[in-house]
Amino acid sequence: MTYHRKLFTTLAASSVAMTASLAAAQEAPITIVINQSPWFPGFQAVVEKYEEDTGNTVELDVNPFAGSLEKQRTAVRADESPFDLLIMNAGFFVEFYTGGFMQPLTDIDPDFALSEDIYTFDDSTCWNAEAKTITCDGGDLLSVPVNPNVLILHYRQDLYDEAGLSVPTTWDELYSNAQALHTNSVYGISQRGQRGTFDVTYDVFPYIWSHGGGIVDQQEDGSYQITINSPGTLAGMETYLKLANDVGHPSTAGQTQTNVIQNMATGRAAHINSVPAPGLFDDDTKSMVVGQVGYAPPPGTAEIPSATPLGHWLAGVPKNIADDKKQAALAFLTWFQTDEAQRAYAEAGSMPVSRAVLTSEMADQPKYRWMKAMAEALPNARLTFTFPEATQVLAITELRFNQAIGGEMDLKEALNTAADEITKVMQDAGYDMPAPEPLQ
Amino acid sequence: MKSDTFWRHATLWPALVLFALLTILPLLKLLALSFHDVEWVDREAIWDWVGFANYAALPQDNLLRAGALNTLIFAVVAVALQMLIGFILALLTTHVVRGRIFYRTVFILPILVPGIIIGAIWKLMYSYDFGVLNAVLMWLGLAPQDWLGNPDLALLSVIIVDVWHWTPFCFLLLLAGLESLPDDIFEAAKIDGATRWQQLRHITLPLMLPTIAVTFVFRMILAFKVFDEIYLLTGGGPGTSTEVISFTIYRRFFTEDQTGYGAAMSIAVIAVIAACIITATRATAGKGAKA
Repeated sequence: MTYHRKLFTTLAASSVAMTASLAAAQEAPITIVINQSPWFPGFQAVVEKYEEDTGNTVELDVNPFAGSLEKQRTAVRADESPFDLLIMNAGFFVEFYTGGFMQPLTDIDPDFALSEDIYTFDDSTCWNAEAKTITCDGGDLLSVPVNPNVLILHYRQDLYDEAGLSVPTTWDELYSNAQALHTNSVYGISQRGQRGTFDVTYDVFPYIWSHGGGIVDQQEDGSYQITINSPGTLAGMETYLKLANDVGHPSTAGQTQTNVIQNMATGRAAHINSVPAPGLFDDDTKSMVVGQVGYAPPPGTAEIPSATPLGHWLAGVPKNIADDKKQAALAFLTWFQTDEAQRAYAEAGSMPVSRAVLTSEMADQPKYRWMKAMAEALPNARLTFTFPEATQVLAITELRFNQAIGGEMDLKEALNTAADEITKVMQDAGYDMPAPEPLQ
Repeated sequence: MKSDTFWRHATLWPALVLFALLTILPLLKLLALSFHDVEWVDREAIWDWVGFANYAALPQDNLLRAGALNTLIFAVVAVALQMLIGFILALLTTHVVRGRIFYRTVFILPILVPGIIIGAIWKLMYSYDFGVLNAVLMWLGLAPQDWLGNPDLALLSVIIVDVWHWTPFCFLLLLAGLESLPDDIFEAAKIDGATRWQQLRHITLPLMLPTIAVTFVFRMILAFKVFDEIYLLTGGGPGTSTEVISFTIYRRFFTEDQTGYGAAMSIAVIAVIAACIITATRATAGKGAKA
């Protein structure tokens, strides 16, 4: 009798739960293809909240950085994409825009608009197909930012307090602080130098930009100029190497982002320039430096202040999915922009894309002390590559920067070789681009 | 009799058609792709005919050159070590009866471990800051080594992992070969007063030659295709010190999305490997005939 009562109660409860769930789910299930990054756990948490709040179902297809790009390419080129939302990186989103793969979001719902609080990151959310430019002025809204990845200087606040150091605003000050904290057991700084898909190139941008250099810069008239072997880039790389050789990790050329973050989390590094992973450093199950990491914008020079590359992530809807899936994907993006979702995102340890949340009272709480550094760095953040041949250029820069850092090639030779190789890639792609003068 | 021949051929056809569909057609498609550049406009793939331009660009590709050299070094050194260690282990254990199941299980463990786990295990062991190898070196009073970040050490470090991973494979094949050798020849040699070295030199090695050759060719083919160990441990770096051909093709074809050029690279590599296999097979057949 008791058994039957229990069974009946269980069945009744299950059917009520199922009915409630069915009633709550208003949208078709969607699948998001995303990469595994330091900020991913926060995104996962906010997706779970979305599912709880709405009853809608979201599946996450999580991949390594390069693997995510390849899956996205394959998906948008197929007759029907298995993914309903693509989380595209700032380095590669242009190829999805130029290939005509993304659905203008206002075609799905004419009333859809980006919230005023959401950063557009140099208008990277929009594409003007006629002018072939990234601009919201006459361009279609193709994506919604989901993560504002920029490089932030992480420093050991406790070591700074002990040594009476001030937060550096220039590379010279950082060098001096790193030298003061460099010991047998703590590296003055740990820098990412390993060759990957968009690894070492991303991390050297603050150095080369703040010295007036670049890689391939877009001019005001829309044309491009190769600046990788300019005196500014050389000076920036010399600064990077000075830090690496004098006060850095002995294996800078072999350091991945994971290694760099690990060095900070285990107390082995006094400084890192990294995309923020604040949830990790304040988690006592993963970090030996809980509450001891301070955050600031990356340093600059006396002439050019902090300049950090935009490595943000954009969510776009592919054209080749069913209409109900497009609606469901847009419903998620609409919800994701809300203040509630953005706060939950920050609480889960990731960085919100809402200016309102980033500059809210949350930033005054010790737990969210990284927010001020982020808000300060973002106005100076810049797009890195705005042409679809970015992956080919990156293959060159990743190798040549890594060879220069590892001592396999002289720095000037590495920059000149990269300039010649990039010139060939761009000329083969039809750009009218003369080869730059070599560095002497 | 005629009917028998007909049915023998007819029953082969389904397998041949399947083989053609699964192997030859993709190869032909790859070949066609290698003469084109592909561009995507408005979700449409535009194939531009470029003739032999993709093939002509191959010799100038610095990554391919570095990859070819590293692959050759990797394959020759790793396979030679695997064959040598595998053969010695097989010789030492061929007459062991007690605990045979146990030691064989232990020896084959590395080939049973998935590549991703091997990468994780060795990456941790090689870690400059937290790895067991450097911990041992420092305990011995020696300086820690940058196993995966030093261009002079990185390829050797990857070769060590490959030797650890694949020596059991060689061991198993060679052990099977040794166990199949006829005992009476060895007994006759013992009666004639042959030493162990003489038995090895004049009986075991000549009789094992076909097994050694097959194992060697098989391992060389697999070594030329190495990818997972490189991808997981070094990503081809530092610089080009661990770049291998499979990884270069992966970069060009998938990451950089140069599908036409990547296809040309693939076809060229397939042709070279096929030529090597044919040469090796003919050489082995010649030796076998002489023996």
